[in-house]
Amino acid sequence: MFCSDEFIRPPRGTIEAMSFIARYYAPSIFMRCGCDAKRRMANFLMNNAIQVTNLRRVYKSYVGVFRRKLKEVEAVKGISFEVAAGELFGILGPNGAGKTTTVKMLTTLLLPTSGTATILGHDVVRDVSALRPRIGFIFGGERGLYWRLSGMDNLKYFSSLYQIDPAVQAKRIPYLLELVGLKERANEKVEGYSRGMKQRLHIARTLLNDPEVMFLDEPSIGLDPVAARDIRRVVRDLRDEKKTILLTTHYMFEADELCKRIAVINKGEIVALDTPANLKRVVQDLSVVELEVKMFTPDALERLKGLPFVDAVTVQEREQNSLVIVQSPRGAEAVSELLAQLNGATVQKVTVREPTLEDAYVRLVEGMDETKKEGAGSK
Amino acid sequence: MHQLITNLKLFWQGAALSYVALFSWLRPTTFLASMIIFPLGQILFFTLLGIFATGRDSASFYLIGNAMQITASAGIFGVTMAIGGERWAGTLMYLFGAPANRLTIFAGRATIHIFNGVVQVLMGLAWGLVLGWVSFAHTDPLALGITILIATFSTAALGLLLGCLGLVTLNIMFINNLVYFLLLLFSGANLPITALPQWMQYISWSLPLTRGIAAARFIVDGASLAEVAPLLVGEFFIGVGYLVAGYVLFRIFEIEAKRRGTLEAF
Amino acid sequence: MFLKYLYAIFAAFKMNFLSLVVDGFFIFATLLMPLIYALIAFGILRDKGAHYGIFVAVGSGLAGLWTTLLFGSGNAITGERWSGTLELIAATPTPMWMIVFGKSLGVILQSLLSMVASYLLGWLVFGYPLGIAQPLEFFLVLFIGLLSFIAFGLMLAPLFLLNPQVQQFQNALEYPVYILCGFLFPIALLPFWTTPLSYILSPYWTARLLQAAAGGTLAWEQLVNESIYILALGGVYILIASVLFRIVLKKARVDATLGLQ
Repeated sequence: MFCSDEFIRPPRGTIEAMSFIARYYAPSIFMRCGCDAKRRMANFLMNNAIQVTNLRRVYKSYVGVFRRKLKEVEAVKGISFEVAAGELFGILGPNGAGKTTTVKMLTTLLLPTSGTATILGHDVVRDVSALRPRIGFIFGGERGLYWRLSGMDNLKYFSSLYQIDPAVQAKRIPYLLELVGLKERANEKVEGYSRGMKQRLHIARTLLNDPEVMFLDEPSIGLDPVAARDIRRVVRDLRDEKKTILLTTHYMFEADELCKRIAVINKGEIVALDTPANLKRVVQDLSVVELEVKMFTPDALERLKGLPFVDAVTVQEREQNSLVIVQSPRGAEAVSELLAQLNGATVQKVTVREPTLEDAYVRLVEGMDETKKEGAGSK
Repeated sequence: MHQLITNLKLFWQGAALSYVALFSWLRPTTFLASMIIFPLGQILFFTLLGIFATGRDSASFYLIGNAMQITASAGIFGVTMAIGGERWAGTLMYLFGAPANRLTIFAGRATIHIFNGVVQVLMGLAWGLVLGWVSFAHTDPLALGITILIATFSTAALGLLLGCLGLVTLNIMFINNLVYFLLLLFSGANLPITALPQWMQYISWSLPLTRGIAAARFIVDGASLAEVAPLLVGEFFIGVGYLVAGYVLFRIFEIEAKRRGTLEAF
Repeated sequence: MFLKYLYAIFAAFKMNFLSLVVDGFFIFATLLMPLIYALIAFGILRDKGAHYGIFVAVGSGLAGLWTTLLFGSGNAITGERWSGTLELIAATPTPMWMIVFGKSLGVILQSLLSMVASYLLGWLVFGYPLGIAQPLEFFLVLFIGLLSFIAFGLMLAPLFLLNPQVQQFQNALEYPVYILCGFLFPIALLPFWTTPLSYILSPYWTARLLQAAAGGTLAWEQLVNESIYILALGGVYILIASVLFRIVLKKARVDATLGLQ
């Protein structure tokens, strides 16, 4: 058939675009091309910056000391989604859900086991050299910077490796330092920076080559609330500059606040993909009962989960007590029955409230786990 | 009695753990590199240099010296890393906080490297036999075995001391390498002790390996265990001395660290 | 375009040099270790007579150069892995081999000190006459030899990329090169089948020319012929290195070995 690499790059300019359509789209209507030409065409017409199709990644590792056994872990189990140009798209999921693996595949650092992904029309496996100058990425945490160098020198070094003209560097680096609020401390060594500052320096680093698509993998992980707020401010600024951004996080409010659409991912699969408002609708028929309990036991948890009107239970351990969060359609009416199941434990406080995105997330992630356990197709 | 059993258990656990660590570290390629190519490289280099300088007759002098010196790679690098790894993994604080006897844990970890060191020396000597640079026709194998064991023990004891130093100093690889190469220079592996200036000879005799190498040369030439006994006893006590020094140093660091509250700084 | 690559190489060079001059391990490798080798070699070769002084000084200096290069280029990659920047620099448009080349230049600059150090040792401590008979030729060969030397180290760097446990390989590769390149004793001592191996190592030719230039026996014809050969070998090394880097980086994307898992 006629799917070749030549079509992977999106057309530039009107004439090229028209000839592209003529050569490509027209035959596909008549000949019903079986390959993914249509998808690519749709991709082009809808102006998608990121297109992911059935992306899958298996890690192989050896376990054991003497008799080494091959162990396979399927970190990402065939996910598909697309991100429009200029969109801020969120991937939300618990630790180990496959978020970082996904980002690494999209940023050409890791080869997918199967499936395809294109960024700005470049295939992430084949068109590496064309793609890399057009994207930027950061991984959460403090690593990825030269601690012995100053913030300024870090940026200078990376921009040299990105082969940015020294004259351009001289303008862009101060501008970026200003943007992320590090202007005053640019000449101090990075080892003296706070986590938040390091993270902002990371963001400045990814912006060096003025990327069209940015991948921010848990940029606010491990930051205190103020520093995390600063990061969100910078991300919002970037969104307003119409950068395409893929943001992963496990903080619901962050996704809620920033993202236009969110994919909730758990155990390598997308369990929901929608706008924050629509995701919240998953739990709109529910109420949330929060119980502050002393001496909460695993038995009690099992009993609560066993109740027919209880949809999901999560427990947060605190210093003094446990916060038990119960989702149930009955809301306030369920309280007395819930308390009855906690015989013996001291309940210090009961709150009934409206569900948040976090509750939607808990339900999506937990719901999936439970259908797995039951082995049934639906819940 | 109970105390003894607990300590034995700790010792065993330490040994087992570093055994596991050693072998996951020694993947086939890595094994080849560290157990065969590196020792052979050192032996060949210095023995050939010796042959170039003073002729083929001197080959056995350099071969025995360097084969014995190889034990320092296990004794110094292996042992310090087994202990110093604690600091890198950030688990030192927990170890200080634990009620267990730390020296027992460390000694357990060092044991496997003594075994490893002995194997490397034997392999080094075997290379010499294959290359025809040494003959064991007049050698008492038992005496040679005991000599290798004692020399390895005292070198590992020095490694233990360095490992304890490594717990508190920043660049342990610097110290390790320095000591390794000082041993190469002072232990008589390559330069006869008597050829060194007087002040260097004092250093030589206070280091492990010096007596062990001397004894090994005598034994290969046909001396009996009784004849080299003074050297071996000296070598053994040098090892004990370093072991005690390591322990004392470690206790001082521990107490100081607790007193000043600088444990986190490790 | 070409200029941009030069900028990138220079940035890598500067960056690595600045971080090395304060590294304790490196100070050891560049200054103390060659001195210890030189001490041992001076000691062993003492009976050979004073005219071996310059031979030992050049040889142990080159040995120190190789060790620093070996550990320098390996550690450059391991260091990037530890600081989490390996993935980041792998994703820049500058080819990895150029970055490592730049970093190696930084290593070389520092380890030139090791040659000076062993030279001074022989002169001041052992009192050997260490005049360089043909200084112009000597420094010309040194310059060419160093470039080729770096290229040689570059071939090994992909290995270090692939395997996070590089230390063992570094240790193992130290002595074989000393031996095969005839730094401190002639390769005539080795079995005949190793001679071709020596011939394809550019440090062997560099050592030969440097020894000759120092001793005043270097003919112009030999200088030209062997210098061209050294440069040609360097070119081949770079070619091999760039291919190896490409293969290894591809493999790293399959196995996920660039990060620190």
